[in-house]
Amino acid sequence: MLVLATGVALAFLVLPVVAIFARVPPGELLSALGTEAAKDALVVTVKTNLVSMALILAFGTPAAYWIATRELRLRDVVVTLVELPLVLPPAVAGIGLLAAFGRLGLLGGTMDALGIDIAFTQTAVVLAVTFVASPFYVRTAVAAFEAVDPALPAAARTLGAGPGRVFFRVALPLAAGGLGAGAALAFARGIGEFGATIMFAGSLEGRTQTLSLAIYEQFDLDFDVALAISALLVIVSGTVLLSVKLLTRWRSGSTTPIPFAPSTRTSS
Amino acid sequence: MSHRLASLVLALVVTAFAATAASARTTAASPLTIYAAASLTQVFKALDPAPNYSFAGSNALETQIRNGAPADIFASAAPLNTQRLYKAGIVDKPVTFTANRLALIVPKSNPAGIRSIYDLRSKAVKLVVAAPAVPVGGYTLTVLRRMGLSGVLSKVVSRESDVKAVTGKVALGQADAGFVYVTDARPVSDQVTVVRIPAWAQPRVRYEIAVVSKSPNKAAARAWITMLQSSRGQTALENAGFLPVPKPST
Repeated sequence: MLVLATGVALAFLVLPVVAIFARVPPGELLSALGTEAAKDALVVTVKTNLVSMALILAFGTPAAYWIATRELRLRDVVVTLVELPLVLPPAVAGIGLLAAFGRLGLLGGTMDALGIDIAFTQTAVVLAVTFVASPFYVRTAVAAFEAVDPALPAAARTLGAGPGRVFFRVALPLAAGGLGAGAALAFARGIGEFGATIMFAGSLEGRTQTLSLAIYEQFDLDFDVALAISALLVIVSGTVLLSVKLLTRWRSGSTTPIPFAPSTRTSS
Repeated sequence: MSHRLASLVLALVVTAFAATAASARTTAASPLTIYAAASLTQVFKALDPAPNYSFAGSNALETQIRNGAPADIFASAAPLNTQRLYKAGIVDKPVTFTANRLALIVPKSNPAGIRSIYDLRSKAVKLVVAAPAVPVGGYTLTVLRRMGLSGVLSKVVSRESDVKAVTGKVALGQADAGFVYVTDARPVSDQVTVVRIPAWAQPRVRYEIAVVSKSPNKAAARAWITMLQSSRGQTALENAGFLPVPKPST
């Protein structure tokens, strides 16, 4: 019974992924990826996600450290706010971004006065990706910093290290495995971003059309191209997931409970 | 313990399947499922709220029906999409049931200061159009070509998947201008201003409708199309700004 249920579950999860590769032979897959639309989308996706990743790391790491190491009275509230975009439907994220940063949105007038117009730009794509992907990094990073043995930073402080030195030389290296895993998860979510992007940034080949948006457009133009881009995303996502597992295993220094990490680590 | 749990899970799964199968059977009996061009959203819903509607770009609907979507009726904003399915034997012979015109819309605030189509050429403007495979996207290209304005395509900032997405982006003020059908401007007339396109540049926008050949509700579907062609249906369409069926010169 147990075996049967597992078999059904596995088959259900694996079948759609296998079907993507089964419908188009590898040779045609490659040539479809060589089309202008696919190449443009790849460039846009890589570019916007790298910028987004840099922002997430630069702001998310200190934020996570702060949440993890301070005795916050409203800790649950802060963590919930950070995690909210994780569970928000993408359409809600799109509407929210429009209501906040749209030309007629909350900050629209201010941005207009400053001469900033992000409508339909790659900046808008970066905002959408950052909004939906950053919680994946921050919540994993909080867990990673919390898992650092408090005796170690304390020891560093008694030896005369300042807060900056404690952060960079003690906490950061000890949490590195967890941070890497969080970054990988955020990246995987970011490259697949669709709903918020199409609502907030629009879709223009070579400018704002990411791989996911290209799949959507190619779906009724050239199904093979849509399949090829999907296959590419499956491979990238699979690689990211695998690297999360390897990262957490390789970095045996930290004992962070990380989602998607091998179960032996999380249970320890 | 695990045995009881397993049989509980199994029971749940069986019930779920039975429930969905039953609901599939009942929907097959009564309300029609109509796949219609996005520009028909308001008028079809007002004319008859009973059917289950799926509104989207006609090209997307064509792909879905080709892949076996359970539609009874397909109403397209361009003959191309219905005719392709007719030639593939997926729908019965399509008929023309209405026509439309294009317009340029700008937000009420008109940030780019567009007063005529030709302003698109001289002003900095964030222009939104539908993708070329979407009927209104194709018609837009025709208008621009006829007016010698194909160069303004370099000012396009987004190619949307249907006409309502174009309308929404302009009504929200995100875009400075967008090409839509005149009928799409009406429901958002408090948010947008219409810039007219001269009659000589207008493409022939003809809507076709067809019964899906595999539909289990063919009689009801044919009756619905007859209703649409009756004076009641035609009046509703004309009140919404659609044009009467052009004289059969084709």
